Amino acid sequence: MRKRAFLAGLLIMMICLTVIADHAVAADPAAAMAEMEPLLNKEPDNLQLGARYRQAAIQAAQYDRCIEFYQKLIELRPDASNVRLNFGFAYVDKIPAAGSITQVILANNALTEFTKSLEIKPSWLGYYTRGNSYLFWPRIFGRTALGIKDLEEAMKIQQAEAKRPYHVRTYVALGDGYWKMDELDKAKSVWTEGLKQFPGHAGLQARLSKQGDELKSVMDEAYDPNLRIDTSLEELWAK
Amino acid sequence: MKTPFRTIGFIFLLVSCGWATDEPGAGGSWFQDITKQAGVAHPHTNSAFKNPYAHIMSGYTALGASASVADFNGDGFEDLFVTDSKEDGKNRLYKNNGNLTFTDVAAVAGVADGNDANNASADSLWFDYNNDGRPDLLVIRFGYSQLYENLGNGKFQDVTAKAGLRHYANAITAIAFDSDRDGDLDLYLGAYFQPVNIFEASTPRFFPESFETAKNGGGLIAFRNNGDGTFVDMTDQAGLRQSGWVLDLGHADADNDGDDDLYVAADFGTDRFYANNGDGTFSDITEKAIGVDTKKGMNVDWGDYDRDGYLDIYVTNITDDYMREGNFLWHNSGDLTFADVSRETGTYDTGWGWAGKFFDYDNDGWLDLYVMNGWVSGGKDSYVPDVFEMILRPNVDLADVRQWPPMGDKSLSGYQKKKLFHNQSGQIFKEDAARHGLDSIRDGRGIAVADFDNDGKLDLFVTNANSEPFLYHNVHPHDTNWVEFILEGKTSNRAGIGAQIRLTAGDATQISFVNGGNGFASQSTSRVHFGLDKASTIDQVEIRWPSGKKQVVKNLSANSIYLVREDGKVEPWKPSKESGK
Repeated sequence: MRKRAFLAGLLIMMICLTVIADHAVAADPAAAMAEMEPLLNKEPDNLQLGARYRQAAIQAAQYDRCIEFYQKLIELRPDASNVRLNFGFAYVDKIPAAGSITQVILANNALTEFTKSLEIKPSWLGYYTRGNSYLFWPRIFGRTALGIKDLEEAMKIQQAEAKRPYHVRTYVALGDGYWKMDELDKAKSVWTEGLKQFPGHAGLQARLSKQGDELKSVMDEAYDPNLRIDTSLEELWAK
Repeated sequence: MKTPFRTIGFIFLLVSCGWATDEPGAGGSWFQDITKQAGVAHPHTNSAFKNPYAHIMSGYTALGASASVADFNGDGFEDLFVTDSKEDGKNRLYKNNGNLTFTDVAAVAGVADGNDANNASADSLWFDYNNDGRPDLLVIRFGYSQLYENLGNGKFQDVTAKAGLRHYANAITAIAFDSDRDGDLDLYLGAYFQPVNIFEASTPRFFPESFETAKNGGGLIAFRNNGDGTFVDMTDQAGLRQSGWVLDLGHADADNDGDDDLYVAADFGTDRFYANNGDGTFSDITEKAIGVDTKKGMNVDWGDYDRDGYLDIYVTNITDDYMREGNFLWHNSGDLTFADVSRETGTYDTGWGWAGKFFDYDNDGWLDLYVMNGWVSGGKDSYVPDVFEMILRPNVDLADVRQWPPMGDKSLSGYQKKKLFHNQSGQIFKEDAARHGLDSIRDGRGIAVADFDNDGKLDLFVTNANSEPFLYHNVHPHDTNWVEFILEGKTSNRAGIGAQIRLTAGDATQISFVNGGNGFASQSTSRVHFGLDKASTIDQVEIRWPSGKKQVVKNLSANSIYLVREDGKVEPWKPSKESGK
């Protein structure tokens, strides 16, 4: 009985937080950040709230404030896997707004946090996120193979659980990793399997319908650090 | 049995195919590499340093391969000045023989000695500093630049000190235009390193302090022409004091208000846009005009690529796997604001960019674009991981040259192809360099565009760092028309630099201007060239001189070169000697 009441309370609180965050973010993202900061201090490992906080930071273009906030949160909860994840994403969120060299530094910082998150708690999200991050690095840095390894791990995890819409991301990214390593057949095979599992997926269709320079253009755009990628994690809790 | 109709049909097919091969992308080069037979194949060699940091510096000074165009001897054929950079390397003054061959007369002319233990040639600029109608020569150097007065008898005299231009700077670019519209050419010098002697550096802290916001470069030096053969440093009074790592300068009238504005491309940080206040002083309106960037600006060229009556700007940056900055094609809104349309137009990604020049190579009336690329083409190992290892090191002092890894024989954005963009009616550009054999992978730097044989088709002289240059003769087969104008100012500066020409032919109106040296490591012709497509008559030409005077000429024939004098005379122009062809 007490457990049920606790869960109900938690659910109400989550709904409240979400409503507060959604309302405030749309109207005044900087004010919404201020509202969410004490809530996150109470609940640092709340992945969803942390993600919403970052989206507000993006809207407000207050990337450094977000990074500094997570730096402090990490001091509070160095062992919290989701804080590390959100901290890493906070660096990623700033990348499109940064200069080309700062982009590299931010990407490197993000990787450090993603690794720490995985060390604390291995998860599909952790492996996918770090694996995908590795793919943004030019091949010369030798990180593509590490990305493939992570993405293969993510694939193993997702194949052992019920299919979720966001699992398509692994098919896309793993195929991209193989493409980047010049293993076109393996890339096509993964993308084809992905399209079988998720029919009509535009990203997979685009990859499978193009070759040579056209396919390279798709990849260049997908991994262009100047273009913002979706880090909202909304798919994780989409109904 | 063949019928006559079938034969006619076959012939028609052949003719059709023949025409089709003239279209961009359909095969068949419109440029011939005539470098060797023209006698201009002498290679450039980078400067080598002998100080304790030489092994590091060598990776960052693959510069100085430049070329500048002017008809220095007034014979009607455009000549070339080409720089070398190694110690004791000779600069070349290639006199055009009128038959697409050239003779190096630098030694006789007295302009060959541009390199020694303490000075390295980086660029050059022809400009008539004393308004005597003869182009004089500025050799732009890391060290002391040299101003040579053209004596008119094939010889030049060093007048640097007399002109008040003996000024230590690691200068890499210069342009000249009449910023205060007093009838003479003012000089703007862009410097890369701060003014320390990098040949015998007394401090190791002369490298860029940041990759994105460095403010410890050589900046900009503005010299006002006193009108008596001397110059005075007016950088502060002009509002141009800055300390960026300047790589190029470009002037043009951005808002068609009669005076020339200034774009400054800077490495390791923010490009600057200065609006001319009308009196030779400038206001820094960077944030409003172009915003604040953190890229690696290398080149500035102005041209109205979409024929909307305002001059646009092309700036190269670095685009490679490890650094995706993208170039800027700044579309001019006409109100001193610009929007980057490089992605939309297909001119975003060329590589590690250097010079990028607008020119209409097929005379179809639309400005095309040629872009140099590539930094250092060395061994198979890449320098990229080395430099990023430094970047990721905590608290690294980038200004200290000793922190930077030596490049050795490694490559950095090497073996990159040059790009030729054909303008598709002002909307997008189609890359077509390979088809014309213009996609060399030498480390390109400058492009001097000129009509070396006076045939109305623009030729190209391309410089490459540590390598041979290219002279490409334009032989495009289309029967498109053209016109060129040579301007002679009277109240305005004699060379007419900054004069704007608005030309209407058929249903097209184009604008261009007399260019005072825009573009990285190169100066193109100061003639104003227009492609006219099928129009055989020019309905109207309006010339707006820097003095403010406007001149309108109607009904000119195409396919001619005209001399336009500010006193009102416009006449067909012929070279003083016949072509040797």
